[in-house]
Amino acid sequence: MKAENNPNAFLRISDLKKSFGTGAAKQDVLKGMSFTVEKGEFCVLLGPSGSGKSTLLNIIGGIDTPDSGFVSIDGDKLKDMDDKALTMYRRKHLGYVFQMYNLIPNLNVKENIEVGAYLSDNPLDVEEVITTLGLQEHKYKYPNQLSGGQQQRVSIGRAVVKNPDILMCDEPTGALDYKTSKEILALIEDCNAKYGSTIIMVTHNEAIKDMADHVVKLRDGVVRHNNMNEAKIPASELEW
Amino acid sequence: MRNPLIKRIPKELKSDWPKYIVIIVFMVLMIGLVSGMYVGHDSMIAAIDEGRVKYRLEDGSFELKSRAADELIKDIEKGDMADVREYFINEGIKEADEEVEKAVNEELEKQVKDGIAQAVKAQCEAFGITDEAVIKEQTDTAIEQGFEKALKEAKESEDFKKAEAEAYEKAHDEVKKAVDEEWDEIAEEYRLDEEGFETTPVTIYEHFYRNAKEDFDNDGTQDATVRVFMRNDEVDMASFLEGRAPEKDGEIAIDRMHADNVGVKVGDTITVGNKKFEIVGLLSYVNYLTLHESNTDFMFDAFGFDVAMVTPEGFEGLGARKHYSYVFMYDEKPETKEEKADYADNLLKCLITQTLVHDSEIEDFLPEYTRKASNFAPSDIQSDTSGVSILCYILIAVIAFIFAITISNTIEKEAGVIGTLRASGYTRGELVVHYMSMPFIVTLIGAILGNVCGYTLFKEVAVELYYNSYSLPTPAVTWSPVALVKTTVIPLILMFLINLFVIVDKLKLSPLRFLRRDLKKVRRSKAMRIPRWSFLGRFRLRIVFQNMPDYLVLTFGVIFIELMLCFAFGLPDSLNEYGDKAPSMVFADYQYMLMSNKDDDGNIIETSEESAEKFSMKSLQYARQGGLKIEGFGSGEDESVTVYGISPDSRYVSIPADLADGDVYVSSAFATKYELKTGDKISLHEEYENKAYEFEVDGVVDYDGGVAVFMPNAGFNRMFDKKEGDFLGYFSRNEIDDIDEEYIATVITVEDITAVTTQLMHSMGGMFDVFRYVLVVMAAALIYLLTKIIIEKNESSISMVKILGFKNGEIASLYIVPTAIIVSIVAVFSFVVGYFLMIYIFKIFILAMDGYFSFYMKPVSMILAVVYLLVGYAFVSVIDYIRIKKVPMSEALKNVD
Repeated sequence: MKAENNPNAFLRISDLKKSFGTGAAKQDVLKGMSFTVEKGEFCVLLGPSGSGKSTLLNIIGGIDTPDSGFVSIDGDKLKDMDDKALTMYRRKHLGYVFQMYNLIPNLNVKENIEVGAYLSDNPLDVEEVITTLGLQEHKYKYPNQLSGGQQQRVSIGRAVVKNPDILMCDEPTGALDYKTSKEILALIEDCNAKYGSTIIMVTHNEAIKDMADHVVKLRDGVVRHNNMNEAKIPASELEW
Repeated sequence: MRNPLIKRIPKELKSDWPKYIVIIVFMVLMIGLVSGMYVGHDSMIAAIDEGRVKYRLEDGSFELKSRAADELIKDIEKGDMADVREYFINEGIKEADEEVEKAVNEELEKQVKDGIAQAVKAQCEAFGITDEAVIKEQTDTAIEQGFEKALKEAKESEDFKKAEAEAYEKAHDEVKKAVDEEWDEIAEEYRLDEEGFETTPVTIYEHFYRNAKEDFDNDGTQDATVRVFMRNDEVDMASFLEGRAPEKDGEIAIDRMHADNVGVKVGDTITVGNKKFEIVGLLSYVNYLTLHESNTDFMFDAFGFDVAMVTPEGFEGLGARKHYSYVFMYDEKPETKEEKADYADNLLKCLITQTLVHDSEIEDFLPEYTRKASNFAPSDIQSDTSGVSILCYILIAVIAFIFAITISNTIEKEAGVIGTLRASGYTRGELVVHYMSMPFIVTLIGAILGNVCGYTLFKEVAVELYYNSYSLPTPAVTWSPVALVKTTVIPLILMFLINLFVIVDKLKLSPLRFLRRDLKKVRRSKAMRIPRWSFLGRFRLRIVFQNMPDYLVLTFGVIFIELMLCFAFGLPDSLNEYGDKAPSMVFADYQYMLMSNKDDDGNIIETSEESAEKFSMKSLQYARQGGLKIEGFGSGEDESVTVYGISPDSRYVSIPADLADGDVYVSSAFATKYELKTGDKISLHEEYENKAYEFEVDGVVDYDGGVAVFMPNAGFNRMFDKKEGDFLGYFSRNEIDDIDEEYIATVITVEDITAVTTQLMHSMGGMFDVFRYVLVVMAAALIYLLTKIIIEKNESSISMVKILGFKNGEIASLYIVPTAIIVSIVAVFSFVVGYFLMIYIFKIFILAMDGYFSFYMKPVSMILAVVYLLVGYAFVSVIDYIRIKKVPMSEALKNVD
């Protein structure tokens, strides 16, 4: 089913344009993207390399700016915010998970998660998150003592513990094997269900779209498909 | 919730402990030293300040040629200028009256005699006597019998009285007229017309002394000069550090510092003059905190000069000349330096005029605020602390830069984490605070431990150091809040500002740039082209380019260390050079200064010594150029210049005998210090009179022993209104033993010149060696910290080349050789910069002081100054090699985060 653009949606992306370089080297990455995401939705931004999905995610996350168009969250337009306000916006509303885990090497698992909790006014219980993520027995280990999947769990924990309105995931399984990827996706799914966070996940893995409520396919800087997924399946049943 | 990032700090400290230990030890030593110096300094200053009041330090002193009459003392105490005009008029009238009386009497006598002669002649003619012989005989008889009566009658005549009165009146008028005509000149000479004179009442105390020969080992030869005072309980008193004041003849108390230096103690017997004294006390005179014999002395001399106290009987029993020194205390104390100068100026005018009208003569005048012996120590203590503080701050700045480089490295390494944190909502401020906290905490630890050490260990060292250098009263330790601020707050501020600047600049980039690890501000489109060297050569060059900021900090730190090394090598070298050159710094082995060139009977003082040669000498002032002044150094505003009058064809000082009046030769010290050359005009002025003399430099005499001017003695006598043939002393190759001691003011020998270097070497002596080693350790620590950064930055590359099959030795040569080359170049470059900087600093310092002393470094010291640094680096390179060897191959395979 085609998704409709709701002018009162929680997250609105309206005619976003963005290019890099100048003159002959100018490259249009976003060529006027528009779609909306409702609160609590699991939205997947799907597309091949160069389709502009990471740029889009960065703009939604307030760490990059569009050349034109706007992003609004709960009615607040990001383009009206200065650097300080954007930082506060990210601090209060967003959680980030990247392909690279970017954990702090000399803090243990628990402390790395506390780094996220510190930012929030109403953080989740750190211990509970650790348990949810299956990290109880590793909580005093340092990142270099963990596998890639375990490290990614920690980075999800760091993002989720903030109890963010939106959880931004940029290719969270990009560096992981099939089995671990599915575990991670299941975790994100759990967080969506348990904490009600809106999830925006960037991926180039077509299979992942099946677990989402809302799938936005991108190619060459434009939205090719913007559909609601009526046959959503649990992450554990995904196959690729 | 506390920021969990703070938990990283103790972990970071633990994981990189060798680095932080080096830094903390560095800081503890520097801060401890400064803190100790401040506490020592504050205690000393407190003791000195307290002593000034307790022991009644003079406000100044003056010396007269002879003992002052009570009237003169009373007049000076009033603080008013004498009426010089009236004095000159009275003196003139007195002289004129004598002349008028003489002239009038002579004229009257002549007239009376003529009258009697004419009367006799008339009587003889009346009696028909024409024989001239008879008439003369009659006339003589008549004069003999009637002269007195006739003279008396004549004097009583109205005509005479009128004429006499007229003559006196005329003479008096002429005196007044002459004084009026010459008044401007007189007023200028005695500075009477200057405005702003204010009465400066003082209380005057006699404080006579004698400069006697001291023979502390009783071997019959003079070892020092001792200035002996009588016990005085009113002013310029002494504090006793050991023993007591002398109570009977034959007892003496001497300066504690001098006693320590020459190795005598209470209970010992020494010979002063020709008399034996038992030392009963060791003292510190409040006006002799340093043993400066004369205020123009370049340096104090606690070996060759001593001050002592004896009983009045003991004092009278000493044969040496008595110096009529008087101490004054202002009735109302001046507060500021300017007031002190004004008061001294007023009192000097009073003194000059009063001594003039009382027929006395000033030998010396010295307000306390310009007195070296009481001001040198506090000033030196002060400059010690500021010197050490500056040293400490420079080092802390260097450490701050090392921190800044380390942190910017860490930031580069943690770019992904920083990007994620920023994306998650950490503010730039929070991250700045986080990265700032490490240097801040380390500095705080350094400051706290440093202060603890400062207040315990180093305080004792500092107090002992001062106590060993100066004749100070017993200090009581005072706590120094200033030290706490200067050793804690200032290092923290320095560390804070330098790191803040670097970290803020580094964290300015957007979160996205951090996530992309794209931290270069300027992106080069192409790699920098480098010469077509071998692969290894180009590899090394790349490492040099990669680490330019580290090398810049290294250069900065090494320049500082080289400057210190130049000081540590150069000062002893300069002192030794001065000592070696000392024999050439005296014109003659003996220079006898006489009190006057005539003895009590008015005979010229001569000697049978064949090598003796007459000379004249006088002290004038040269307006200091540049205006730099360091309080406590130098005798005051101007440079003291010794002017010599030299005998024709002198064998001691070679100047042309036919120099025109006004043409002079200057000493090489004078020429170098003030950059004088032939043809330059110099103006020298009297210290206590407003009289200046202009000279033209005609040549330079190779003499580095003092700031001096030379001219033929005949010209000297004409220039300074002396009589032809006048002189003031003898140069001699041998000791002169046929001039009575009471006529000799002073004798200068080579030992007097080397006293300066002996004193300095004693005061600082062994410190230099220790200092040099400390510098090597400091240099090594500095290089260690910087090379550690370079290796850490390249750990994964080192690991990678290991995987590729490079051997440890090869890898070490890749990463150590570039630094070795840079360190060698920087060492030489920094030495050159440090050397010239030292010469410059030395020159500024010398310009502010009286006298001249040139900075000298032996060629071997120059080489050593570089070699020491390289030896320090050699140790570090061994550690670097071990460090490179330990880099595991897995490092390159690690996940980038």
